[in-house]
Amino acid sequence: MNIDIKHIAKLARLRIEDDQLDKFESEMQNIVRMVEKLPDIQDEMTLDPDNPMILRKDVAVQDKFTRQELMQNAPQVKAGCLVVPKTVE
Amino acid sequence: MELFERNACDLSEMIKNKEISSAELTKSVFDRIKAVEDKVDAYLTLDEENAMKKAAEIDEKLAKGEELSPLAGIPFGIKDNISTKGLRTTCASKMLDNYVPPFNATVMNKLDDIVVTGKLNMDEFAMGSSTENSHFKPTKNPFDTERIPGGSSGGSAAAVAAKEAIVTLGSDTGGSIRQPASYCGVVGLKPTYGSVSRYGLVAFASSLDQIGPLGKCVKDVAMVQSAIVGHDKYDATSAYREYPDFAADLKADVKGLRIGIPKEYFGEGIDPFVKQSVMTAVKELEKQGATVKEISLPSTDYALSSYYIISSAEASSNLARFDGVRYGFRAEEYDGLVDMYERTRSEGFGDEVKRRIMLGTFVLSSGFYDAYYKKAKLVQKRIMQEFAAQFADVDVIATPTVPSTAFKIGENTDDPLKMYANDVCTVTVNIAGLPAISIPCAYDDKGLPVGMQLIGGKFTEQRLLNTAYAYEQFVGGFKMPEL
Amino acid sequence: MVKGYEVVIGLETHAELNTESKIYCDCKNQFGLEVNSQVCPICMGMPGTLPTLNEKVVDYAIRMGHALNCKINRICKQDRKNYFYPDLPKAYQISQAEVPLCGKGYVDILVDGEERRIGITRIHIEEDAGKLLHSDKFHGVSLVDLNRCGVPLIEIVSEPDMRSSQEAKVYLETLKSILQYLGICDCKMQEGSIRCDVNVSVHKPGEPFGTRSEMKNVNSFSAAVRGIDYEVERQIAVLEAGGKVEQETRRWDDEKGMSIPMRSKEDAQDYRYFPEPDLLTIVVEQERVDELKRSIPELPNVKILRYVKKFGLNIKDATFIAESVSLAKLFDDCMAKDKFPAKCYTTWILGDLVKYMNATGKTLEDTKLTADNLTELAAAIEAKTISNAGGKKVFAVLLEEDKKVSDIIEEQGLAQVSDDSALEKIADEVLAANEKSVNDYKGGKTNALGYLVGQCMKASKGKANPGKMKEIILAKLG
Repeated sequence: MNIDIKHIAKLARLRIEDDQLDKFESEMQNIVRMVEKLPDIQDEMTLDPDNPMILRKDVAVQDKFTRQELMQNAPQVKAGCLVVPKTVE
Repeated sequence: MELFERNACDLSEMIKNKEISSAELTKSVFDRIKAVEDKVDAYLTLDEENAMKKAAEIDEKLAKGEELSPLAGIPFGIKDNISTKGLRTTCASKMLDNYVPPFNATVMNKLDDIVVTGKLNMDEFAMGSSTENSHFKPTKNPFDTERIPGGSSGGSAAAVAAKEAIVTLGSDTGGSIRQPASYCGVVGLKPTYGSVSRYGLVAFASSLDQIGPLGKCVKDVAMVQSAIVGHDKYDATSAYREYPDFAADLKADVKGLRIGIPKEYFGEGIDPFVKQSVMTAVKELEKQGATVKEISLPSTDYALSSYYIISSAEASSNLARFDGVRYGFRAEEYDGLVDMYERTRSEGFGDEVKRRIMLGTFVLSSGFYDAYYKKAKLVQKRIMQEFAAQFADVDVIATPTVPSTAFKIGENTDDPLKMYANDVCTVTVNIAGLPAISIPCAYDDKGLPVGMQLIGGKFTEQRLLNTAYAYEQFVGGFKMPEL
Repeated sequence: MVKGYEVVIGLETHAELNTESKIYCDCKNQFGLEVNSQVCPICMGMPGTLPTLNEKVVDYAIRMGHALNCKINRICKQDRKNYFYPDLPKAYQISQAEVPLCGKGYVDILVDGEERRIGITRIHIEEDAGKLLHSDKFHGVSLVDLNRCGVPLIEIVSEPDMRSSQEAKVYLETLKSILQYLGICDCKMQEGSIRCDVNVSVHKPGEPFGTRSEMKNVNSFSAAVRGIDYEVERQIAVLEAGGKVEQETRRWDDEKGMSIPMRSKEDAQDYRYFPEPDLLTIVVEQERVDELKRSIPELPNVKILRYVKKFGLNIKDATFIAESVSLAKLFDDCMAKDKFPAKCYTTWILGDLVKYMNATGKTLEDTKLTADNLTELAAAIEAKTISNAGGKKVFAVLLEEDKKVSDIIEEQGLAQVSDDSALEKIADEVLAANEKSVNDYKGGKTNALGYLVGQCMKASKGKANPGKMKEIILAKLG
């Protein structure tokens, strides 16, 4: 099994440095080899109607938290907003 | 006997009868922490000031005659992946080094009159079996501080064994309560999936995670379980049902109890002494009136693979939110959005977390979903069916909790697969959503504890606790380490 | 057909549902409030938080499913769609992949007087993302406002059944009027409460469908038309130049009037859908599904067809009445009495009523007009009890006062006199008094007749039935 480590890393927004690539690849190979030992079961994933979800009533609750409380952990805040590197050119 | 050495069930009575105050007890526990924490490293954050304040508040309420819960004023240590309002919650990760939740986990609200001593060490994001994957430090096993305490709730188990907390909360995704409980010689309960709210537990694998208690005795664990169990409208996966008062209903009675011994859990990979110890304990239960029967759970061999696929897949998605935007770590230098994401996540996560995210991303990626994720879910379905079939014939299944006793720090860190094999006896329980308890049943030639795991059908916690209690009564209580 | 090519269009329409609270948490679902003021740990995706599904969202989606004749999957689940973007706090969107709440259905629309049936592939529920704010003031950065995170959406996916931008526009307008009829979406385009993604391909007649491109960021129906027209032209130009149309995602820039590729094929998104483990199976009882079906009124597109086919209205009038819930109800209630042709009511509804509503800014509910009164008025006119002019006076009263038509006629003395002997008496008097005009008429000046009838009407104080009066005069003039 060939695993495209760089592609997977890109999907996961991780960067695997070049000198780490081989180590990561062989570890992944080993793990994948272990998890591959699964039998072929002739069955389908089915929904479980016997365990239905209780839905929430449509009632709005306001002022549970202040913006300050919710943003206190943010790395960068400006004008009441979270700040990220520019997303459009 | 010092206050910190006592059990929660006794202390609860003493506080209620005003023999002692919560403040005295809390001080006793913090004195103990100061004396041994250097050797154990169970805590990531200590909160003595607030703990003493809370203890005084509880004492005041008791003095006024207010009705409080049985656990009022008892010092608890909390695993650091359970959100505590205003108290740093790091998941032992650089990613959340400075994260302070603005809200409480539901279990913390349910336990609103306990005293929180601090937050306990763990494997980063609960991924690991030794607590060596903590970004901050490894925790040591109080029975032998050169050995691992197990994981991922290593801090929770070590703190109980070292008496640095009266009881603790842990979380269990593939054995993370039971396995460290076994290594550290304490009692740990993994409740039925859906019985304890997961709201506020930082998710590792949503369909497998459960919060549960660890304590020095079965009754303590039963008391905590009674306090945290129950439906929560904030957790859609929490079951809607009534629960007994596990501590009040505790009975050391195994007459007529049908115990199943699954041969697959006593195979090659299990240390002969561990096998023998568990069988000896089962014989004892048989003497007390239980019947014992060998059973088979043939899909057990596939459980570990199924577990690593499902848990990693969910983890890869659950941990995607750590992106340096709303909370937590953000890389210092970056060039644009994607670079910010990649550097933040690569610098913020440790190697094991990255491995699991990579595995999870891979098994969900286009072209591999059916071969991995779907297959794993089908195996899960089969494992559930096999357990359900067995529980028609037996009441409790007894197995080793872990294949061997605690290994040395650093012994397995280079080999992820060897580390994963530690979970072989415990993951099936999570895969099947069942309750299970680990209790000490022997000590090896080095004095290290061996754990026995008792597995029950869904929502049969009372029966598991009763069985464990019967064994505990027979051995006259469990031995805690000297430090 | 455009330049010898057939055009194939499919639309994915997102509509924000106007529930009280968000889809997975109890934050208020409201547009236009201060940035990051309608958020909580759940919709901010804080560690440890969990979603709980709003039951109204399920109800609303099922109602839309019924309105579009969809198969309702009363047992279904939700899935995670994984991708990183700053407006998506959890880095996954909770949506539905394999089993949507509503499966196959259809909607009938009228394009240039012709009935067209557009297939619906599915309708599923999902959460909206936040908003990114860009400003030159903030150099090199974007700002994130998470208020919109967790606003409930339904995504309505059509079959590739549309063949022109015009058809696409009518389809979108039909969806909009249905959403409004059901009262489940505010349909404010400027607030982005309906948005769509457009799939377009072209092919030569008789050949299989061409490769399609997907266009995102289409924020109004007119932009959809412009975007489709642009994309059709672009694809034809590519093919005519001997090139191949790429399967790609493009972004519509309405200001520049062009679409720009968003990402190349190699960069194709892999959303890694898998079942949302934080939520259990959605199970809606069959009785509830049926109850919701019964709550669906006849929808505007169906009404239009019925008005045209059964009552003979033209499309313009039919559409005008059908698209207003209250006008359509008034009209239908009148027609249900099965007494008079549609014309007897549409004249009033489209004429005096609309004029009054426009002038006063009132809605139909603000007036006192009822179907019973309007039918009575029509009856009075049909029976020639009152004249059209009298009818207008009665109608004006009906709008503002809760009175019976017969009472108004009597109060205002509007009844026409049709009694022959009374009319003959008036005619005799008028003819006797206007000998000159009688002679003029007899001498061939036929317009003298009008004058004589007018004099009779005057003598009757307007109460005489003018038709009858004319008959009598003609008879007397022999």
